[in-house]
Amino acid sequence: MATPIKRRELFSSFAGIGASPASPQACTGASLIPNVALRTHEGKEVRFYEDLVKGRQVIINMMYAHCEEFCPAITSRLVEVHQQLASRMGRDLFMYSITLKPQEDDPAALKSFARMHGALLPGWTFLTGDAFDIETLRFALFRHDHIKFDLDPASHTAKLRIINDAINRWTHVAPMASMMTVLQHISWADPPKSFEQQLEDNRKLQLAIDKEHALYGYRKIV
Amino acid sequence: MSRTEDTTHEPVDGQQPPQEPGAQDGLDRRTVLKTGALIGAAAVLTSKKSLVLAQGAPPPLAQPVLCGTTAPVSPPTRPFLDNLPVPLPALPQILSPLPTKAANTGAGEAARDPHQRWEQFLPLVMYRMNAAPSLHQHHTDLLPSFMWTFNGTYPAPTPLNFYGVPTIVRFVNNLPTTPPNTTFGVNEITVHLHNGHTGSESDGFAGDFFPTNFFKDNHYANAYAGIDDFGGIGDPREAMHTFWFHDHRAAFTANNNYLGLNGMYIVYDSKDPGHELATPGSLRLPGYYGVTDLPLILTDKRFCAAANGRNEVFQVVGNGAPGGDKWVVNGKIQPKLTVRRRKYRFRILNTGPAKTWNLSLIRPDGTQAPITIVAVDANFLQSPATLTNRTLDVFVAMRFDVVIDFSAFPAGTSVYLKENVAQNVGVATADPAPGLPIGNVLMRFDVVNREPWFPADTPALPAVLTTFPDPIVPDASFQWNFTLVGGRFLINGLEFDANRVDHVVLKGSAEEWTLANDVAAGNWLHPVHIHFEEGRILSRRVRTSQNPDVFQDVPLLPEELGRRDVYPLPPQHRVVLRMRFRDFVGRYLIHCHNMNHEDAFMMVRWDIVDSVEELTRKRREIDERRMLAGLPPQYGPAKQGGLV
Repeated sequence: MATPIKRRELFSSFAGIGASPASPQACTGASLIPNVALRTHEGKEVRFYEDLVKGRQVIINMMYAHCEEFCPAITSRLVEVHQQLASRMGRDLFMYSITLKPQEDDPAALKSFARMHGALLPGWTFLTGDAFDIETLRFALFRHDHIKFDLDPASHTAKLRIINDAINRWTHVAPMASMMTVLQHISWADPPKSFEQQLEDNRKLQLAIDKEHALYGYRKIV
Repeated sequence: MSRTEDTTHEPVDGQQPPQEPGAQDGLDRRTVLKTGALIGAAAVLTSKKSLVLAQGAPPPLAQPVLCGTTAPVSPPTRPFLDNLPVPLPALPQILSPLPTKAANTGAGEAARDPHQRWEQFLPLVMYRMNAAPSLHQHHTDLLPSFMWTFNGTYPAPTPLNFYGVPTIVRFVNNLPTTPPNTTFGVNEITVHLHNGHTGSESDGFAGDFFPTNFFKDNHYANAYAGIDDFGGIGDPREAMHTFWFHDHRAAFTANNNYLGLNGMYIVYDSKDPGHELATPGSLRLPGYYGVTDLPLILTDKRFCAAANGRNEVFQVVGNGAPGGDKWVVNGKIQPKLTVRRRKYRFRILNTGPAKTWNLSLIRPDGTQAPITIVAVDANFLQSPATLTNRTLDVFVAMRFDVVIDFSAFPAGTSVYLKENVAQNVGVATADPAPGLPIGNVLMRFDVVNREPWFPADTPALPAVLTTFPDPIVPDASFQWNFTLVGGRFLINGLEFDANRVDHVVLKGSAEEWTLANDVAAGNWLHPVHIHFEEGRILSRRVRTSQNPDVFQDVPLLPEELGRRDVYPLPPQHRVVLRMRFRDFVGRYLIHCHNMNHEDAFMMVRWDIVDSVEELTRKRREIDERRMLAGLPPQYGPAKQGGLV
């Protein structure tokens, strides 16, 4: 038996000429990011959205402990990124490495992987969980909306997902890009700057461009 | 505070005001009063002009409420209710503050290199394109949608220009800053004139985006390539006519374009003068903008169900642009256009983000009518090419200028522009022509007799439209390998990095470039776009299935024989082209123009430099960097991609 339809709902669903199935909803945090239960490398149970992402700026990658192709290089890259952003890590910036092979990677395996790579660092959590939940998460965070990519778990080890849930800004970066680029892409999800700060940044960038023109006759690095 | 004044909306353009934080939602009388008071207070602090404008300003647009993460089926739309709109010609205006050679950062201009060839091509005409939220109604049966547009209209107004008359287009960013983000776009823009022969600082380099409340002046010399060689305004054989401008923000190009940040830009010259009169050198093509010469700007969109007085365009924060289920021409779904029994020119432009269009013209009896291509990617073909039994394939970012002679059809009949893939109409409608389901109809042309006041038909198309520039003699050959490894789009083994240059060429030189798509057969075709100058395809080859080292020639289609800037590259193909690098220096791009692919970093930066010393040093640095990354050198002896 269907629940009784309220008059108001009846009105709204016929407001458009043949309403499509989707009803309006905010396209923000909880509606985008699954709140699946995961276990950290310390064995603690966490809810992915509520406990780890909500209101925060986060860097997420997918890996697995026995991956020999990209994962070790990317993990050591993340260690370097962590060094660069150490003052923010664990405060307003967090890193999450989620295993693609939860059957193999229990918390202990992830912890030993992290230790081996010098990645037991503040604000950096390795995560495992139910295989279905992980797949849901992978799809929500990394999908390209293209079947050739989305059904191939391997395609998601080579991208860092950057989310600032507080401002609903998502971006991404190729982890092996230059450090300058990786840091720039992370900053694309930084909290909004004041207009005064943007003016100041713009002025500094112009000074740097002008300086390079004076030194080399062209724009070399900035 | 001239900056504040400059970025203030001006009623002339009919655009929407910037979003004030906290003032975006349900407006009651109190909020209106409060907002008015705030704006008023700000205006008092700035200038008298702002005060006047602010008092008449409409309230800020309510931010969109989207419809979740699952792609909806768009609401039904009845066909042929709306007339085909034509983007208005952009109005030139005197900019304040006036444009300057060096960035006017004090007035809020984004940092950039000084304009090249500024004194030689001082801007005589200035435009202002204000990126801001606005509402656009895609169909009579749909409510308006929240979009990001230039000057409040989608598509943007069209600047109509002339070779020899340099312009400045001031792109002003007034996109909302209100967190949380309620659209999937990013409020930072960098605008590329596709395919302008411009200095790098005006080329909309993907990494040179600027935030809300800033502006950037793009300097378009409107000169032909070959300024140094030919003097004056360059080599007239390099003429290009149908350009378009669009946001090129790294990683967000698809999203910002889906939201509406693009428009057409036309440059006339004596051969293609923007009228149909018999003037010296004129080809006398159909040429009155908006009357007999019309843009057809194509995109696909998907719409949420009606809510809050809107049908928002479907989008999911964090994802690239979705595929649409409604085909949109000049901002309208399945429009109609009344045409007189004479020749018309249509400038067909695919603004993407990702869809390819396979078009044909269908008579009421279901048979295919001819379409004559006169120009591809803004360049005249040597001779017109008429399609009678195959489709016009328009890949993202390509322009096809076509001529259709409607005198071939009796008055009172309708002919249809067909797209091979059907859209979702949602209203049961009889097939307009045998074998033509309504979903496949992009738009309808209603043929009527020409009234006495309507311009008479133009003469028959000339057999020869243009003379190509002298054949290019390359100084070197270079190969670009496009691959897909572990879900990453790689070009010569690397993903895009705005801060890293991957090939360097000398200003004034020429190279033969091979675009090689080594991705397995059955995968994507990549429409590869090369900024800066037009090239010509020398050959197209495909790997034979029997022997991976053997390639066989693919005959070039008539429309591939011209000059172009988008090179369709199917899997296993090799396209060889030659290009020159003249007149300007700086950072330029090659990328797949499937915007979702370029946002996944299928893009590469290449630089033009003006000294051999710098060329050598930069090339050495590139190879050193590649060796550190475990990649073969591009300029050394062993190569996969690179100099050949």
